[in-house]
Amino acid sequence: MTNYFAPLTAVAVLLASACSAAEPPAPKPAAAQKPAPTPTTPPTTAPTGAPATAPAARPAGAAHYRQAGGASLAFSFMQAGAENHGSFRQFTTGLTWDEKNPAAGSLDVTVQTASLETQDKDRNDTLAGADLFDVKKFPTAHYTANSFAKRADGGLEAVGKLTLRGVTKNLRVPLTIRTSGSGLELSGEVTIKRLDFGVGQGDWNSTEWVGDDVKLAYKVPMTRAD
Amino acid sequence: MLLIINQWVIAERADSLPLGLAKLKALAWHKSFGLTILALAIIRLVWRWANPVPDLSTETRTWERRLANLSHVLLYALIFALPLTGWMMSSAKNFPVSWFNLFQVPDLVAPNETLFQRMRHLHHLLFGGLVAVAVLHVAGALKHHFIDHNDVLKRMLPFGGPGDGPRAKPHD
Repeated sequence: MTNYFAPLTAVAVLLASACSAAEPPAPKPAAAQKPAPTPTTPPTTAPTGAPATAPAARPAGAAHYRQAGGASLAFSFMQAGAENHGSFRQFTTGLTWDEKNPAAGSLDVTVQTASLETQDKDRNDTLAGADLFDVKKFPTAHYTANSFAKRADGGLEAVGKLTLRGVTKNLRVPLTIRTSGSGLELSGEVTIKRLDFGVGQGDWNSTEWVGDDVKLAYKVPMTRAD
Repeated sequence: MLLIINQWVIAERADSLPLGLAKLKALAWHKSFGLTILALAIIRLVWRWANPVPDLSTETRTWERRLANLSHVLLYALIFALPLTGWMMSSAKNFPVSWFNLFQVPDLVAPNETLFQRMRHLHHLLFGGLVAVAVLHVAGALKHHFIDHNDVLKRMLPFGGPGDGPRAKPHD
């Protein structure tokens, strides 16, 4: 019935993006923005026009954010009819965000798979083992999205790819972006299927006792990086 | 009683397995049966409250009744305490419990490794106590039947009132 140790997936997710948010300190005039720290194409001033598919450009008005303290990336999955919970303690998140041009946002999340924690050593070790996350061989999971899109419900989602346990799949990650203190807060939930990524070899390939669905829930404070 | 023996068999099997699917399955069954025993214990207590126990004063001695009362109280306490400590073990280890995959029961305590170790110790200790009291219970019943030649055992058996012949099947 549900997955057991699937948490793995969680990792990936990170999310990103932005929905509505805000970018507090950025100067209003888009053109006034400082040049991006890394060389990219010159900022354009088009307010809404940047095509979502042009990842490399840093649109005018966009700002870079990095993960601040207090971020959480939790996973849950069904095991023997009960919901099991865990989280990844180490992951890093980068976001490029312009509230005036949400589609041009980008998100990049790297999760240290060995940082999984379920408050039970046996379960942690099992999850880290070769049949599940295989953290020795796949020490990180990575999510990267170069554009954001509107969801049917009006919210925002990152359009990107998750690489987990050596398997890369397209994944849309719902994001809520709101201003918080001096920065932003990213949050949301997404459900992935652990077996899509090979998280569950041997006995764990069955979903009878450990479900395929793994829910990832993230809440990540971000601060300006530039 | 068969359920309780079954619990012991499953638990021994689960203990001997490394954490893997087989152990998860064994423990899931153990927990489901444990919840079942807890529910039956509650029903039994309600039943007992609604149906006064028979008066044994004409056929038993005072010390026998005292010992019987004590062992009955202990039996009831243990069939509640065993599932509850097991349930707390699961909660303390952050392994929520479901009943035969049908529904999940709430966690009794927050995850806590120290508490888990204590509950596990207690769970094992209580099981030893249950075995001891059960032996006393059976010994007492057999004594009534074979030594005192009274109807106490017959009355314990299902459908067997005084006067019926002894049943071969164990109750419960």
